[in-house]
Amino acid sequence: MQKTPVVSVSGLHKIYGRKNERQYEALKGIDFTIDEGEFVGIMGASGSGKTTLLNLLSTLDTPTSGSVEVNGQDITGFKGKALSDFRSEEIGFIFQDFNLLESLTAKENIALPLSLQGVKKAEISKAVKEVATTLSIENLLSKYPTELSGGQKQRVAAARAIVHRPAIIMGDEPTGALDSKSARDLLDLMTDINKNQHVSVLLVTHDPFSASFCDRILFIQDGQIGQELKKADNNRQTFYQEILNQLGTFEQ
Amino acid sequence: MLTKLSLAGIKNRFKDYLVLLTGLIISAAVFYMFANLATNREFVKSNTQISMASQVFIFGMILLILITIVYIAYANSFLLSMRQHDYGLFMMLGAKKNRIGELVFIETLLIGVISTIVGIVLGIGMSMGLSQILFNQLGLTVHHFNALYWPAIVTTICLYVGLFLLSGIFNLAKLVRTPVLKLLHIDDEVYLSKRRPLVQLTEIVAGILLLAIGYVAMAKIMTLQLLAVPLALVTITLGSYLLFSAVIVGAVELLKQTNFANKKLHNFTLAQIMFRVRSYTRILTIVSLLFALALGAISVGAGFQRQAPQMAKSTSAYTMAINDMDKKEHNLVSQLNDTHTLTYSQKIVDNTVYYNEQEFVDHPLPMLDSRQALNDGSLKTLPISQFKKVALDDMDFTGLVPKNGQQKSEFATQSNFENLNRATTHTVTIIRLNNILAQRKILDRLEKLQQQRFPAPTMATVGGFQTYKMFNALFSGLEFMGFFLGFAFLAMLASCLMFKILSGANKDIVRYNMLNRIGTRRALMKQAVRGEILTLFALPGILGIVDVLFGLQMFKPLMYHPYAMTGWSILIFCVLYGVYYGITTLIYERLVIPKEQMNA
Ligand SMILES: Nc1ncnc2c1ncn2[C@@H]1O[C@H](COP(=O)(O)OP(=O)(O)OP(=O)(O)O)[C@@H](O)[C@H]1O
Ligand SMILES: [Mg+2]
Repeated sequence: MQKTPVVSVSGLHKIYGRKNERQYEALKGIDFTIDEGEFVGIMGASGSGKTTLLNLLSTLDTPTSGSVEVNGQDITGFKGKALSDFRSEEIGFIFQDFNLLESLTAKENIALPLSLQGVKKAEISKAVKEVATTLSIENLLSKYPTELSGGQKQRVAAARAIVHRPAIIMGDEPTGALDSKSARDLLDLMTDINKNQHVSVLLVTHDPFSASFCDRILFIQDGQIGQELKKADNNRQTFYQEILNQLGTFEQ
Repeated sequence: MLTKLSLAGIKNRFKDYLVLLTGLIISAAVFYMFANLATNREFVKSNTQISMASQVFIFGMILLILITIVYIAYANSFLLSMRQHDYGLFMMLGAKKNRIGELVFIETLLIGVISTIVGIVLGIGMSMGLSQILFNQLGLTVHHFNALYWPAIVTTICLYVGLFLLSGIFNLAKLVRTPVLKLLHIDDEVYLSKRRPLVQLTEIVAGILLLAIGYVAMAKIMTLQLLAVPLALVTITLGSYLLFSAVIVGAVELLKQTNFANKKLHNFTLAQIMFRVRSYTRILTIVSLLFALALGAISVGAGFQRQAPQMAKSTSAYTMAINDMDKKEHNLVSQLNDTHTLTYSQKIVDNTVYYNEQEFVDHPLPMLDSRQALNDGSLKTLPISQFKKVALDDMDFTGLVPKNGQQKSEFATQSNFENLNRATTHTVTIIRLNNILAQRKILDRLEKLQQQRFPAPTMATVGGFQTYKMFNALFSGLEFMGFFLGFAFLAMLASCLMFKILSGANKDIVRYNMLNRIGTRRALMKQAVRGEILTLFALPGILGIVDVLFGLQMFKPLMYHPYAMTGWSILIFCVLYGVYYGITTLIYERLVIPKEQMNA
């Protein structure tokens, strides 16, 4: 069966700096697609353009040229309401620094995307309870972010990212601020969400361990996709080894 | 090097500095305007004739100084919140604490000096503008008022530069003492306020009780005398404080249970308000009190002014007495609307003015029902026998003589009157009209004509019009001061609130940035900002209005209708307050609501 792509990117360029200023080309023509239900990783050295790419995919920034289609719509021309509605409906974000609102309880934080969409109270409660059970954070719901550990915060952030059933979850180094145990929990969780709820995931990371959870890894080098690695039928350990080898070849 | 870095920091946050400077400039300008009146003895003396007035001004001045201190403290904390991260970073990188301290001190003082100077210039301009408006639009007459007044300039400079010196020292001490790490992370601290319902209930009950005591104290000013004012001030302050802290938390908690909370960003707004209650309770209390004082000052000032015509009616049974009305005067009188006129004959022999009794039988001269203060101006007519007894002691009657000498009045029977020889005959015409204010121009001309023909030896006043003119002059001063006080307080309190709100913007930038990232429409974010700030503006405003409504009870013994001008002054006030609200939201939106896209 031919899967429909959730994200398809073609000829993406990003040049920072205005015309008459010093310019820097961070992305030099990127093409790839992400299929429905795929778990894709993006790796690359610092400064290679990972965050830039993610910002373009999530409409936080606009490309200099090229197109990004999500669910068949070109999102690069979005403005105003269409822009925010796209973000709140189609994308689930998990950030390195959690990005929870410290004035809201975990429950209220998770409910936020649904409130924005005008979902009814009863439905919100139900949806929040459901994700909370999936992520086993039911007992944290009434707490404020300051009362949570880093790992717990990231779980809450993950719950917020999936509660509205987005087309794709994007994470920019979501494990960056976590210890290895919490990082692993989160990655397991994301895999679980990906497999059981069929939500596509795009994970930006420079950590090989995190990357080994992906189905496919795109390596960015100097603003271009250099290599692609597929997990296929490998188990995670072998895939991890493969990633390490691949990174080794870059270093030589 | 460090100086350069620090200047670069200022450049980066130029917008924030602009807000800070603007706020301080407005504050200095307002203070100058007020000091201009308060330090101008001549002005206070010549415009009030009430010994209380200078005390009122001193009291107002003390209040304004207190507000200024609070205000500068807030502004300074805004400044510090902008800078501490930078300076913490410099220290982390090895800059000497003393050097940093020096920089902070100089920066604070420099901001103070600049804003004071610009503020005074603006204040002079505003004094000119406002006084022009008041003089021209309201027809007030005010003497000895100068927009540019040196003692006021000196006072303003002393206070502001002094306060900024103190702030500089405070900042220096604070930065030098706080551990570097804490400086870097000071923004991350979050306060959670969880309260027990019982405590909250007690707070509400105690708050309402205290407010009630304060309100009753003001209404009973006649029995409590001077004790009423401090009693009311203390109880109302405490009551407002308790009420604000309990009611806001309670209301937010209730709202959170409802469906309302789950819509849009409501939950976020409620949480924002909740989180800020503790730090806002104090300022909301201050603002509500100032609001009440300012609104009260305007209402009372305007109320007094409006009661001049009423006072005119209550001090005399007629508006004006015209001796020997000539043709010109007759023309003028016939232009007056809604008038009663009565004419009596007079015969003057030597130093005595005789009246024909029969004329008073046919057309009785009305007399005031009562000569007590604050009487309602209602009239009575007496039977002639009684009239003759009281009339000779009544100013209204004795004042009917032509004003060119000390004359006695006597009644004569018709026959006696006709038989008086060697007498000059005269007439006196009494006019009484309902609306003095509207026809004051004609009355003015009439009075001038009379004064030319019958120059009065003293300023002995007969007739309501004289009274009207006297009180109008007196109350013009009061109204002018009321407006001035009112606007000064309003500008100050709204700026205080504005600053307090703006100094929270730093933390909100992160929050709104996050909301933007997860796809919140800009319109919704704006709504959230407006809702939050509206709450902070509206709460003290409403309590302030309630305070005034009760507070005006204090003026019952002094005024006919203490509430006559309240509606208007509330309206004007709300408009101005609304303007402040608008400005605050605009600035806040600019500060915190991010662009949808990074380089858009
Ligand atoms: N706003 C900007 N203006 C100018 N140049 C930028 C901007 N943002 C990023 N760059 C440049 O673009 C390049 C790619 O940056 P990007 O943040 O995408 O890297 P990254 O792969 O996410 O790195 P890291 O792993 O360190 O997060 C870098 O060289 C960076 O200096
Ligand atoms: Mg990055």
